Order: sequence, then structure tokens, then C-alpha cells
Amino acid sequence: MKLFSAQNITYSINENKLFHNLSFEINSGEGLHIKGGNGSGKSTLLRIILGITSPSKGLIQSYDQDLKISYLGHKNAIKNYLTPVENLELLFGGDELNVAFEWLNSFGLSHLQDELTASLSFGQQKKLALIRVLAQSSDLLVLDEPFVGLDQTTADQINSFLAQKISQGVGLVLTSHITPMIDCAALDLGANNA
Amino acid sequence: MLSFIKAESFKLSKKLKSWLGPLLVMVLVLIAFPLSIDISQYDLDKFYFSIIVVSLLMTAFVATEGMFEEDFEDGSLEQEFLKEKDFYKLVISKIFVYVCLIGIPIAFIGALFSFANGVAIGSFGRVFLLLSLSNLLLFNLFAFGNALSINKGAMLGVLSSLPLALPVTILLGRAIRSIQYGDGFFAVTTLMVGIGLMVSAIMPLIISAALKTHID
Repeated sequence: MKLFSAQNITYSINENKLFHNLSFEINSGEGLHIKGGNGSGKSTLLRIILGITSPSKGLIQSYDQDLKISYLGHKNAIKNYLTPVENLELLFGGDELNVAFEWLNSFGLSHLQDELTASLSFGQQKKLALIRVLAQSSDLLVLDEPFVGLDQTTADQINSFLAQKISQGVGLVLTSHITPMIDCAALDLGANNA
Repeated sequence: MLSFIKAESFKLSKKLKSWLGPLLVMVLVLIAFPLSIDISQYDLDKFYFSIIVVSLLMTAFVATEGMFEEDFEDGSLEQEFLKEKDFYKLVISKIFVYVCLIGIPIAFIGALFSFANGVAIGSFGRVFLLLSLSNLLLFNLFAFGNALSINKGAMLGVLSSLPLALPVTILLGRAIRSIQYGDGFFAVTTLMVGIGLMVSAIMPLIISAALKTHID
């Protein structure tokens, strides 16, 4: 099922085109890996897909207005003055909270559950932020550099989770400098800029 | 809406500096100001309301600094936008929680100090009501200022909205005169309730639009 389609998307900052005439589709049960160097516009493209940023030209069409999207951007959206458990309680309730606690355990963060999030390392904070995405049931996952700061074991867990989600019919869009170990179509913004 | 209020109350209650700071500023100003000027007790009951009004303005100003900044900085605003497509519920809940957890306690402290400085005990309820209504207006106005310049130092925005707070101060002055001279209290209070309701309904829409501009 088609979730999103982009037609001739262009984004410019001060007359400089970040990318131009991009067309692609995002379907359920499929992954799209957006590649490109630093400053090539990967995060901006994700924000355009999500409707947070408007493209300079072109059209993004969503085929389901009630689409449930889980998004993890550059900013973790976690509160430093709360503990990991309090952060999760703020986001989830009921069954989702139980799933979130299971992920907390699985990521090896359960012994830090009563520490302030501010005292966790960058990687541990990233894991906590990822739980927001992992514990939520959604139709589309949008992840901006999900593997940054993660150890190999956690990266493997995320890869395996994403592969499982795609097989369940969830759509996936991610940016990463590391090629994910899952079957994805690729969109190279570096080639688009060339 | 209830989930927003619950979440915002929880967050604010965990930020000791954000809610306790303004209350302490209020208490300090109310204690320190009369001590620092040479006014006899007879005169003090006449002037004390002015001190309360100025303290109220200052503490509302301090309390709303960084109201949306944290959510903007940590990416929570983006997540909120994805869920709700606008920030109306978030803004209205945030202002409500700030008024309840900071504004009303400040109003209570103000009313308590006015009683302690010679204002008749029968006026306690009236002073408390007026100060609470003023805080409702001030928090809405300063929240707007905060949202205006969220990524350029929130204090700058609060400063730019300061002139909007002057009519509230004038209105509060008029209301207080009505308590002192027993004249037209009901009319002024009704006017403040009316303005409060309008501002509380409209201002979150404007703030929501300002926040959307910032995350774009």
C-alpha cells in the first residue's frame, strides 16, 4: 500500500538548491534508505516527508491522513531532568509502557532506571530515545541516523527490529551513513546534488 | 486534553527551579521592598498594593521564561506536531498548569501579604481573586512573548511582550482602588474575567502559530 509519494521535490536555502526534482514513493512493508554526505539535506528531506518543513517546490502526498508515524530526529525528545522510567511513563501507558520497559531491560538500561537522564552517556540517551519508536505501534517509522552512538550489539538489535517491522507491513524511511543490514531501496542525495 | 495537563503538571513539578523560583522571588520582593523604603506602617497599607502589583508583574515575567524553550530544544515540539498537527492543546494545557502551579500560589502569597500589612481581612478573597485573574492574563501574554523568540533567547521575546502587560497592570490598579474605596469591584472583576476568557481562548492559537513557524 502506498503511504507517501513525492513528486519533483526541491528544497533551496538562500537560492542554493539542497536537492532538486526528487521523486519517490514510500510504501508499507518497504524501506527507503536516504544516503548522502553531511549537509546534503537528508534530515530536511525527512522533515519534508513528515510535513514539518515545506518544500520549495514539488508535492508530497499522503495517502492516509490517519497514518501513525513514529519519528526519531536529531533531537532525542527526552527530558534530562527526569529518570528513564519517568520519561517512558510520560510517553506511554498500558501495554505500550510494558513493551517500553522490556526494551529498557533489553538495552541494558534497567540498572540506570532511577538515575537522571542527564547523567546517562550519549549512547544510553540514544537508546532511551529509540525506545520511543520501538515501543510504539505505528504504520511508518521515520528515523534520522538511528545508529549513531550505538554499540554493535544494539545496532544489531535495531536492524533486526526494523527487518521484523518491514515484514509486518510497516513502512520505513531512514537516513544513515552506515548501510543498514536490511533490504531497503536507496535514495542518494549526493548523486542528486552532483 | 487531560493527558496534556497531567504530563505538563508532572514535568513542571519535577523542575523545582521553574516553579519554586518565582514563588521565592515574590516572597523576597514583598518582604524586602517595604524594609528598603522609609514608610510608616500607617502609609504602608496604602502603598502595599502597588508593591504587590509590581511583584506580580516581575514574578509572572520570571515564571514564563523558557516556557516553550525546553520543548523546542529537545525536539518535543516536533513530536507534538506529528501527533496533533498543531500546538493548541499543548499551549492551553501549559498555560493552565503554569497558572495553577505558579500563578495561583503567587496570588495567594500576594493576598496573604496584603492582609499582613493592614488590608482588611474581608478583602482577602477579593485580592486573591484579582491577583489570580491578573496572573491568568500575564501568563498568557508572556507565554506569547516566549513563543515569539524561542530560538533567539526566550527572554528577548518576554521583554518584547512587556508593553502588552501594562494595560493589565493599569486594570489591576483600577480593581485594587475599587477594593480600597468599595466602589465598582464587581464591574472591574467581570471585565477582567471577560478579558481573561477571551485571551485564554485566542492567545493559544497565536502562540501555536508562532511555535509552528519556529519548527519549520
